[in-house]
Amino acid sequence: MDEVGTKIVEILKKHMKEPRDDISMSTPLTDLKIESLDLAMIVFDIEDTFGIEIPYNANEDVEDFKTVGSVVDRVKELVAKGPAAAGAKA
Amino acid sequence: MSNANGARRVVVTGMGAVTPIGLNVADLWASMHEGKCGVTELGGFPVDDLKILIAAQIKDFDPKVRLKHFQRDKLVMHADRYSWFAAAAADEAVRQSGLTFPVADPYRSACIIGSGAGGLTTYEQSYRALFLEGKRATHPLTLLRIIGSSASAHVGIEFGIKGPTFATCSACSTATHAIGIARDYIKNGVVDVAIAGASESVINYGTMKAWQALHVLSPEGCFPFAKKRNGTVLGEGAGVLVLESYEHAKARGATILAEIAGYGMTSDAKDMVNPDIEGPREAMRMALDDAQISPADIQYLNAHGTATTINDANETRAIKAVFGNHAKNLAISSTKSMTGHPLGAGGGIEAAACISAMREGWVPPTIGLDDPDPECDLDYIPNVGRKLDVTYAMSNSFAFGGLNAVLVFGPPPA
Repeated sequence: MDEVGTKIVEILKKHMKEPRDDISMSTPLTDLKIESLDLAMIVFDIEDTFGIEIPYNANEDVEDFKTVGSVVDRVKELVAKGPAAAGAKA
Repeated sequence: MSNANGARRVVVTGMGAVTPIGLNVADLWASMHEGKCGVTELGGFPVDDLKILIAAQIKDFDPKVRLKHFQRDKLVMHADRYSWFAAAAADEAVRQSGLTFPVADPYRSACIIGSGAGGLTTYEQSYRALFLEGKRATHPLTLLRIIGSSASAHVGIEFGIKGPTFATCSACSTATHAIGIARDYIKNGVVDVAIAGASESVINYGTMKAWQALHVLSPEGCFPFAKKRNGTVLGEGAGVLVLESYEHAKARGATILAEIAGYGMTSDAKDMVNPDIEGPREAMRMALDDAQISPADIQYLNAHGTATTINDANETRAIKAVFGNHAKNLAISSTKSMTGHPLGAGGGIEAAACISAMREGWVPPTIGLDDPDPECDLDYIPNVGRKLDVTYAMSNSFAFGGLNAVLVFGPPPA
């Protein structure tokens, strides 16, 4: 697992009631018992950590967040665009 | 008594408190016995250019310990500190009541937990992050932490309360209004059980600045009724009661701590900061009428007693207007001399003090009262508490804006 992946897994574990050590890129988020409000907090932490803005609405099913790997891919994509492209202030 | 018109009697079966001089009612009461003062040097955040450098802060409250058994409310750990205090006080009151929550018909239970200012510290932290630190977003739970109804919602979720659930907001009368309204809901048959009180936690830089600008805080200490008093001292905490209809409590063989015998509420409708005599006087009279007792039946009065120059003199005059000759025989104290001013939570903490006084036959003191103000010439139980049989106790709460609420506590119905 690369640096982005490791950081994201750390964030996920922080928000899990019972953190587990067997999280891989293919682990579906539904397996981590993450509820919609937890997801909002995870997105906040990821945005803060990587200085990006993730387009996301709690009212919609988000395809980007099916598995851990899909989250990592999306974050890498947004990081590559840079903070300006993602609309971040600083 | 209070069921003369067929209305139901309302009793207290549980009490809970979180204060700077005790994180539960037993510790609070032990501290009052010692005449312990909760006022200390202000800390926990950069005090920068603040001029007032004292407060009655709660320093050793750990939600991870105190609320770790919370089951239904999954978000309580993410709540504002004011909700933690409310949750802890409610939990203590519920345990003492011995009631199993959710109650059999959860729609017949109410949760009325007020706050003068809700999650004010969350506001401050969030605005700091946005305006000073240039953060793009606030924490996703910011809104839920801030809203003034969040404490009642958190407690309502944990205890499965499906009836009336909301917050009261009347500055320093908030808890007394909450308890009074809950009592009336039970009295009038809306619900059978209620968790009621208030919580406050607003000691932060911005709050200190706002209070400092109003020039009502003392730089030295909270000395109600004393000649040297020069303002109040901000405190924090929560006070929550479990109330039940007498029938409900009796049917399950509960230990009844006291009856809520009377409740009065008025507004001065006059001035935002200067209290009037008429409003407090009428609120006390209404509470006595409601309890169907005469002024001479009250042995102990827990005063609002904020230690501002005007409150204590004004409250003394209002007490004299209501109690007449009996005013001199009345044991009065301001427990704010020990807890500081817990703002909206005051009436909840002071309700616990009144009920504890009745149960033990001992009344708590007003500490820091070596030299009383000649304008305050009643018996304020100076410095040391004393043994006293208390059948009826009164608790006064008078708020900015002239919002007055008074409770009368009586013995468990025979």
